[in-house]
Amino acid sequence: MSTTVSAYRHVGQGLPRLDGDEKVRGLAAYADDIPVPDGWYGHVVRSPVSRGRLKKLVFDPAFDWSRVCVVTPADIPGENIVDMIGRDMPFLAHDWIQYKGEPLALIAAPTRALAREAGSFVRAEIEEHPPLLTLRDMIAEYKRDPSALHQLAAQTISKGSVEQGFAAADLVVEGEYWAGHQEQLYIEPQGMVAFPEPDGGVFIQGSLQCPYYIAPELIVTLNLPLEKIRVKQTAVGGAFGGKEEFPTLIAGYCALLALKCRKPVKIIYDRHQDILYTTKRHPVWVRHRTGLTRDGAITAMQVDFVLDGGAYTTLSPVVMYRGILHTTLGYKCPHVFVDGHVYRTNTFPNGAFRGFGAPQAIWALESHIDRCASALGMTPEGFRLRNALHLGDATATGQVLSEPMGTPDVLEKTLARSDFTRKRARCSRGDPSAKKWYGIGLAFFGHGSGFTGDGESRLKAKAALDLELLDDGAPGVNIRISSTEMGQGTFTIMPQIAADGLGLPMARVRCPHPDTKYVPDSGPTVASRTTMVVGSTVFGAAQKLKTLLETYASETYFGGAPAELVDGRFRNRYTTDTQSFDAVARRLIQERGPQRVYNQFQLPPTIKWDQKTFRGDSYPSYSWGCNVAEVEIDPLTLELKVTKITSVWDIGRLINPVLAKGQIEGGLVQALGYAVMEKIGIKDGLYDASRMQTYVVPTALDVPDMIVEFIEYPYTHGAPGAKGVGEIPMDGLAPAIANAVEAATGHRITDLPITPEKLLASRELQAT
Amino acid sequence: MSKIIRTWTVNGESRTAEFPPMRRLLDVLRENLGLKGTKEGCGEGECGACSVLLNGEPVTSCLIAAGQVPDGAELLTVEGLEQTEGGRLLQKLYVEKGAAQCGFCIPGMLIASYAYLRNGARDPAETALRDAHAGNICRCTGYAKIVEAVQAAAEQWPAKEVNRNQ
Repeated sequence: MSTTVSAYRHVGQGLPRLDGDEKVRGLAAYADDIPVPDGWYGHVVRSPVSRGRLKKLVFDPAFDWSRVCVVTPADIPGENIVDMIGRDMPFLAHDWIQYKGEPLALIAAPTRALAREAGSFVRAEIEEHPPLLTLRDMIAEYKRDPSALHQLAAQTISKGSVEQGFAAADLVVEGEYWAGHQEQLYIEPQGMVAFPEPDGGVFIQGSLQCPYYIAPELIVTLNLPLEKIRVKQTAVGGAFGGKEEFPTLIAGYCALLALKCRKPVKIIYDRHQDILYTTKRHPVWVRHRTGLTRDGAITAMQVDFVLDGGAYTTLSPVVMYRGILHTTLGYKCPHVFVDGHVYRTNTFPNGAFRGFGAPQAIWALESHIDRCASALGMTPEGFRLRNALHLGDATATGQVLSEPMGTPDVLEKTLARSDFTRKRARCSRGDPSAKKWYGIGLAFFGHGSGFTGDGESRLKAKAALDLELLDDGAPGVNIRISSTEMGQGTFTIMPQIAADGLGLPMARVRCPHPDTKYVPDSGPTVASRTTMVVGSTVFGAAQKLKTLLETYASETYFGGAPAELVDGRFRNRYTTDTQSFDAVARRLIQERGPQRVYNQFQLPPTIKWDQKTFRGDSYPSYSWGCNVAEVEIDPLTLELKVTKITSVWDIGRLINPVLAKGQIEGGLVQALGYAVMEKIGIKDGLYDASRMQTYVVPTALDVPDMIVEFIEYPYTHGAPGAKGVGEIPMDGLAPAIANAVEAATGHRITDLPITPEKLLASRELQAT
Repeated sequence: MSKIIRTWTVNGESRTAEFPPMRRLLDVLRENLGLKGTKEGCGEGECGACSVLLNGEPVTSCLIAAGQVPDGAELLTVEGLEQTEGGRLLQKLYVEKGAAQCGFCIPGMLIASYAYLRNGARDPAETALRDAHAGNICRCTGYAKIVEAVQAAAEQWPAKEVNRNQ
């Protein structure tokens, strides 16, 4: 199916977001804003130790337990597991405890204060065992004896023979790269409400990305059929992956309590709880060994990629898959071996965060590429231009880039736009006479759009469109998808896409909050997949509904002459007759009732993937980006200021340039935080920053001048041709800054975040 | 425990609330007065999502005991912005420029913008504008479009809506 650009009336326009009005008027209802008549508050009782065996939970008789409702493992109607990939995480610990803060029991009470008070009367008797707490300790063990670690997942990628590749190399460049946790820090904390239903089911509403994660994942725990677990998204105040898989837990806590006490139960985390007891970006250690020839070709890339998974499997295998698939992406190399692992530490399980393994991989790769260039005496831009993938080249999994893409175009354009080569000549390189050190650095990267591997062909995203009377009493179309709006613009771009597919004005198309009672499973709102995968599925559904409407108009009004729906009017193709959409649709609904059409996403048959060998087309398509960062460093205090970011992106066809640019700008600032500000470690088994005062993210004053430009290489296998935008802005800024810092100071920092303390240590290290 | 009764002018209307002595202004606004537009992001004055105007000055309502706000005080929350020409202008430009994404910081951010512009600030250099919003954290936008929206509003700001006392 292909549609020419000229057919688009709304796609490509920077239309204001449809949920903008309710948001600026304070009317949007988030999880803590929805009415919960006669509701109780939930509280989670947590383990005070990082690792051990739970002997007994003691409920102190000094508290009057009749005033509250308690759920222990014995009260769980089904299996006491969180039904994610690993099935290794209990809802409530009942034997082994694997992290400090692990849930032991749940309490509901008429007030939040009473629920918390009751929690303080629960005592856990635990036989303590020594925990493994940090990535540093884990990697030390990994280098000594990996079999001593508890492995949560492993996967390799193999292409050619790295032995052969290293034999052909003139030199080998090695490097190790580290990055710590990162907190999503959505401004709306996690929150959920569960309402018990008269039929024994439960209705869950809250702040979430993926209604069809929660509903099916709670089946085994609640021992309820899918149709009795209804999930609806409220307005979501930011998510960034933090509300991907984690909300299943908080929904489960609320549901278990609500089903037991037969009252609505609400849990809204305060910020302290939200930072301490929710998922973070996986800490990573990456080791690169790269074979190079004197003339600048890459002969071999060998990479070890190890993630700290935290205590349980959660989504870690898939995060690692995306990591290893991006850890050599962008460059031509005949011999590749990537060895990916996730191991357990006794800390809160790590999880989804915008980029999902790719930012960690690209942080290491793009730092290392600069090292390779430097070892060869080449410029960073010269080495990248020499080796960047072009149309027809193959990735590490053997995927041949067969549709025109933004590589190496974004690289060339960013270099020109930032005046990179000229500016690089004046970098300070630690010049002792300079008052300010200046540096400029570069990163170039791709990001796979949609699920990794065969994910999209297994899921088969579905979308439905309902032709019915809208709330204004006139006919229109409701888009029924499980994709959520969390600020990125789903509820605006989907109507743009559907309106163009239908030939209707925007005002007749709506995209309401998904509710599993009404929407089919379009998959989760993750993996930079919504606009490309669900958007093209919605476009297909819109074309089907358009055909249905045109057939009806033709038969009913035009005596069988073909009808065409354009801008809300049916035109008789043979005469000048027209009929309004309003009249035709009203009559159709009156005669036949509301009409629903379905469509299902299909990957083109040319896309093939072997999950066992990790060979084939690892993503349906790729977005591309290039970032240039400029920094200034005070030689005395080592204070680091990022002064300018220049970026060019290929995210396919722009559906809404204003929203797309907003995604990039916001993502770049989150990446800026990851690169130079956001520091959170582990102390006594818990995060050492647990408040906004101690976990510091960029404010309006920390943001440099940002240049954001696009080149459009549309996705060729489905209209309207968007690729992923959500995650890619998170990918490349950290290494661009590290490379700029190296150019400014002569020191390479290989551990995120890049702080003055680390610069000082690196300088002192060199001085000794 | 005895309760406190206060009567304030909230968004131009006289409102009376009765609450326990230690209740935060944020909770009185949300729970007693039903003004759910004001949000809690951190509960410790860092994120600014709960910002409201108290007698014309932006404050973080999570850090103020409601009992400390005397009778007769004037409060303006996001819900009251549309009663003012400047507030409506800001709301319109926030939407047009793409300044709101998830929207959770926006009630507080708009209050910061409104206070800044009402105090007669017109700073083309951007620094003062950014400074005036530095107490409000947005995790979605990278602030670029918020700055654009406030700059556009500054150009069209109604002259009568400038605080003469400044």
